[in-house]
Amino acid sequence: MTRGRDGGRRLEGSAGTLERWAAILGGTALGFAGARRGSWALAALGGGLFLAGAAGVPLSSPLRQAALPAMRREPTTTQANVTIAVPAEKLFRHWRNVRHLAALFPHLDAVEILSDTESRWKAHGPGGVPVVWNSRLDKVRENELITWHTLEGADLPHRGTVLFRPAPGGRGTEVSLTLAYHPPGGVGGNAVSRLFGTAPEQQAREALRRLKRIMEVGELPTIDGQPSGRAERGGSRSRMQEVTG
Amino acid sequence: MRALCWNGVNDLRVERVPDPTILGPQDAIIKVSLSSVCGSDLHLIGGYVPTMRAGDIIGHEFLGEVVEKGPEVTRLNRGDRVITVSIIGCGKCWHCQHEEFSLCDNSNPQPAFEEAAYGHCTAGIFGYSHAFGGYAGSHAEYIRVPFADTNCFRVPEGVTDEQAVFVSDAVPTGYMAADMGNIKPGDVVAVWGCGGVGQMAMKSAFLMGAERVIGIDRFPDRLRAAQMKAGAETLDYSRVDIYDALLAMTGGRGPDVCIDAVGMEADSGASAIEDLYDRGKQALRLENDRPAVLRQMIQCCRKGGTLSIVGVYGGLIDKFPMGAAMNKALTFRMGQQHGQRYVKRLFEHIEKDDLDPSYLLTHKWALDDAPQGYRMFKEKADDCMRVVFAP
Ligand SMILES: [Zn+2]
Ligand SMILES: [Zn+2]
Repeated sequence: MTRGRDGGRRLEGSAGTLERWAAILGGTALGFAGARRGSWALAALGGGLFLAGAAGVPLSSPLRQAALPAMRREPTTTQANVTIAVPAEKLFRHWRNVRHLAALFPHLDAVEILSDTESRWKAHGPGGVPVVWNSRLDKVRENELITWHTLEGADLPHRGTVLFRPAPGGRGTEVSLTLAYHPPGGVGGNAVSRLFGTAPEQQAREALRRLKRIMEVGELPTIDGQPSGRAERGGSRSRMQEVTG
Repeated sequence: MRALCWNGVNDLRVERVPDPTILGPQDAIIKVSLSSVCGSDLHLIGGYVPTMRAGDIIGHEFLGEVVEKGPEVTRLNRGDRVITVSIIGCGKCWHCQHEEFSLCDNSNPQPAFEEAAYGHCTAGIFGYSHAFGGYAGSHAEYIRVPFADTNCFRVPEGVTDEQAVFVSDAVPTGYMAADMGNIKPGDVVAVWGCGGVGQMAMKSAFLMGAERVIGIDRFPDRLRAAQMKAGAETLDYSRVDIYDALLAMTGGRGPDVCIDAVGMEADSGASAIEDLYDRGKQALRLENDRPAVLRQMIQCCRKGGTLSIVGVYGGLIDKFPMGAAMNKALTFRMGQQHGQRYVKRLFEHIEKDDLDPSYLLTHKWALDDAPQGYRMFKEKADDCMRVVFAP
């Protein structure tokens, strides 16, 4: 899956660099997260030096860019892509039945079908804040494309497109989901951040991942409810053995 | 039930935890009868694989009996004696359909960690940190196995528990290492690391037509096992310069295939400066892995030869001799094992007595003694190759 991002057009050039840095920093952060020994101060200092030195890229400019999206006043477009090992017809049929979409977006509470082209959506943001909008289908091309937009008065005004095209080599279907929010700074923008937090692209990616897992394996793999020795999961922590190496 | 939990670096405890339950329709619950330690568990225990959480149950190489199954499990029955491949496949995605089970798109329920660090997420692994799905491990009385039809395999009558347990991980990992080497009759294969996986790689290399196999380690018992059990010649890197020795043994060519069965915590042997450099950088978290074996393999491998890597690496390495690799036209193959691809073939080899992995089992202990078992395995005390726990 590829990451969606804000203001797709504008970031084309620098976004590549930014993402690479995000990956490198992320990887290093993972390393740090696992570090439970050694000197933290030294590790942090050294990590920064290593990253800066490694590619000869000054750290300040990617970091400044990372802080930018929050301040932008441009239309926000998010795109996510995934390949699903299922024919386009099956995916199109699944998506066309909007009731199925509730399983893709965990914050969706209900989808009510009003007519062949109109539907009413109820969702909740963090803290249970209700978000409601009506949506109308624009274009529907059998097995290829579905586009929609929200009607006047929506708490979450947006346009959406989902595109299905055959993947090369019999890999199934490439699915692209694009969401555009207007205007990001206004009332709608508040709803967007209420609903999605700060990462709508993460939500879009998660939605396509759920679609893939439902269509390919028929369930969403989980570890929720498995045992562990953590007290919050009910482990009684009756210590039987202990060793420190 | 009782389970071995990781609570922090080098802090393992056997604790009482709830029994696992069926969480998905394709799950099975296995009553564990044997569960082996593995070299890659040492990376977790030592804190080198990030995203461990205190309380995680570790262990990924096991044999047991099916005691419960979800409604969509069709190929297994209660009472079946099975092994489970340590790396989880969904069985349905493109990678699983192409027998690349460790690259499964769907079996990792927590893909965000790996997507951030690696660009894509790979398969879930039992007891192997939250980056690899956070699944509870097998050093326990019971374990839940997702997608059981894909990941559990009935053990044939003629195969003993002590042979079968290693078909979960050590045998297919070693076999895949040899398979990726694309070994041709007459080839000389060098294997770095004579632990469980290395032993199986050596044995497998012969099965695939290697003429000579050279095992490299420093522990006398492992080198002895490589000679006596796997039929390899051996080199002790603490005593000889590996480059000089390998070239002397191969008419100056170098081995055709070099297998890394060591991974991120490699010792550098002869070059003390390199070892200090790597350990220093790793301790400061400037480098996740110590690539000593990789560097040595690139240097030693014959021109146009193949490097096959099954030793585990977690993150970034530096001082990687790319110039040597490129100019010598080396082929790199690597990956976590796609065990499901090999299990049937491996049981046949065991039944025909081509391959007997049971000698890896040097110590069989109660689960309650697991922390001491790991300490012994880590220190390689008492000629320990593998400790296997019986709950
Ligand atoms: Zn292992
Ligand atoms: Zn899969």
